[in-house]
Amino acid sequence: MATPAEPPVDPRGVRFAAGVTTVVLALVLLSGSGWLAAAQTVVFALGAFFGLRFAPYSVLYRLVVAPRLNPPAEKEEAAPVRFSQLVGFVFALVGTIGYLTGLTVLGIVATALALAAALLNAAVGFCLGCEMYALIQRLRTRNQGATA
Amino acid sequence: MSLWGAVALGVAVVVALVLALVLRARDGRVRAAAGASGGWALAGCSPSGQDRVLLLQLSSPVCAPCRQTAAVLTELAGRTVGLVHVELDVADRPDAARELGVLRTPTVVAFDRDGTELLRVSGVPRAADLLAGVRPALSGRLAP
Repeated sequence: MATPAEPPVDPRGVRFAAGVTTVVLALVLLSGSGWLAAAQTVVFALGAFFGLRFAPYSVLYRLVVAPRLNPPAEKEEAAPVRFSQLVGFVFALVGTIGYLTGLTVLGIVATALALAAALLNAAVGFCLGCEMYALIQRLRTRNQGATA
Repeated sequence: MSLWGAVALGVAVVVALVLALVLRARDGRVRAAAGASGGWALAGCSPSGQDRVLLLQLSSPVCAPCRQTAAVLTELAGRTVGLVHVELDVADRPDAARELGVLRTPTVVAFDRDGTELLRVSGVPRAADLLAGVRPALSGRLAP
């Protein structure tokens, strides 16, 4: 997934994007709109499959918010963030399918789970998908070590 | 307006905020030892004359707080006699993470001169709290 190495990202941008995601997912839950869920699924897909520089909320941050702030004191690796977009994509896709096929409960549950993870990131900077990425990387290197 | 959607929204927000409070309270706080031993051997060194306490830091390659932690501990070890800081990458040393039962990075495990665990911290440690936790072991009498 992360074959071409992406430049490190501004962690404040990641939290900004998580905040926008939280608001959009809240609107999905309140309106029950499968099409809005589909739009958020596309947003996740752009970041996950094409890279964070194509993720719409990251673009919004870079163009509108970042120029008004000081340069970031530190940057973080893009790969775990990109993986978290993939996790978000899966949940949003399941939610969209649920809403658009009439399985509303599935739509609500998948959207609410994605919203909780996004809010956790926006509120305290804890990225669940990034932690999953780190654990998976470790399991992978451990297995390579065992077979080498 | 979806009623159940609104209910789910409320539940998700409460769950996320409770999790956020738990994580924030735990992050960087000194916790009791989990009973590990053999810290110096895991770090691949043995204590020289002045060394009293080992801060063994487990890091991973993609981890911004690991770099902050390394900076805090390097500075702390630099100005504290008898305090040694060693950083291990769990990608190179999965055995160390397994041995110490560490899932999250950064985690710092402090060992006394005998290699017995004193305490551990996950997340970026607060230097003052960490120092207070290991001070009794630091002020132990010097070996002849």
